[in-house]
Amino acid sequence: MASANSETVTRIAGIIINELKLEDVTPETFDGDLDLVDEVGIDSMDLATIALVIRDEYGVRIDEDDYPKLTTVAIIAAYIDTKLAEKE
Amino acid sequence: MKTVSSLLDNEWYERYKKISRLNIRSSIYDVTDRCNLRCKGCFFFSSGEHERAAEEKDVEKWHGFVEKEMDRGVNLAILIGGEPTLCMDRIEAFYKRLPTFCATNGLIKIPRDRFPDMMVGLSLWGDAEDEIALRGQDTFKITSANYEGDPHAYYLYTITPKQLGKTEKIIRKIRDIGLKVHMQLLSNDEDVSGFSWMPEELIAIRAEMDAMLDRYPDTVVSSKYYHEIITTGVMLGRRFGWNECPSVTIMRDNREPQPKRLTNFVRWASDLETVHRCCTSETRDCSTCKDGAAHMSWVMVNKRAHIDTPESLRNWIEVYEMFAKLYQFIPW
Repeated sequence: MASANSETVTRIAGIIINELKLEDVTPETFDGDLDLVDEVGIDSMDLATIALVIRDEYGVRIDEDDYPKLTTVAIIAAYIDTKLAEKE
Repeated sequence: MKTVSSLLDNEWYERYKKISRLNIRSSIYDVTDRCNLRCKGCFFFSSGEHERAAEEKDVEKWHGFVEKEMDRGVNLAILIGGEPTLCMDRIEAFYKRLPTFCATNGLIKIPRDRFPDMMVGLSLWGDAEDEIALRGQDTFKITSANYEGDPHAYYLYTITPKQLGKTEKIIRKIRDIGLKVHMQLLSNDEDVSGFSWMPEELIAIRAEMDAMLDRYPDTVVSSKYYHEIITTGVMLGRRFGWNECPSVTIMRDNREPQPKRLTNFVRWASDLETVHRCCTSETRDCSTCKDGAAHMSWVMVNKRAHIDTPESLRNWIEVYEMFAKLYQFIPW
């Protein structure tokens, strides 16, 4: 997977901050390489909620089988960018 | 932003990482409508669930059903009753494909040549006096002979108010036959006189459960946070009930707003078509429900709410570890 567009990284960080109601962090200061399970503590239900917001915003459907590998914001952003590129 | 590693020392962080990706997706299955006991307070019979659906008798249909459940993402099958051991072929349909837990009264021994490592939970409702009063016989005599030393079996000790001051005797008996025990509380669905919990009894039994865990850590599989939650019904200032329960069948869950819940959880009746409302009796008042698994799951699905202080996160880890041990996702 190619590295992600920084705009996508910031937007995904914003979605996660909003959905998980994270405090003391902004989309700009969120570390895109932070492990979402080991450090932020998200679970598969959180990820499913985030996937719905991403689908609505980007028109990209995240396959549930792909959840385990979507471990950071940067990886999710790259996943979306790749899917968008495939659509074009 | 609070991160997991910022709240834990290295030892606890390593414990967290061992469970953080388990992604357990359980569902519960009534294997049969029949039982070889009729216990007072058994929710299955007291709420008429045994009459809700006619059990599927074609074992091939059970095999096909389990395949479909796997497609739905289920990775832990919890078999309950009636009494599952009356239908070993149906148990096998699960066991051949999935991590499987079988709750049983233990009167019929599960053949270990056929089910070598299936986790078995043996129901126990107290000492001989309580067992006879509620179940008609002292099952421990038989179950202890059937399962002594079995590394894949443990007792599910349902504590009644009459057990106050007596739990240690039971736990020592279990220790002496080389098994482990997990404690839960009777919900008294049939309102048997003297078996409903009074507030002061819940305070006392919590202290007793804590003491048992301290005294018999190699035998008791539990956590003090679980004791707190199951006796108070309160977690992080929130009260357990319909609006909070994580163990509601997904097709029956019309709650708004939707609370954190078990992913795709379903409790299936033995016709393989009917679903029950939740993991326990449909007629039970959720505000007084004492179901142990539902309370454990309540903690587990609310992980992020526990990523607040070192203590709250350690509490969450202990409850998750307890669940993972009871269903063999991590070793004892």
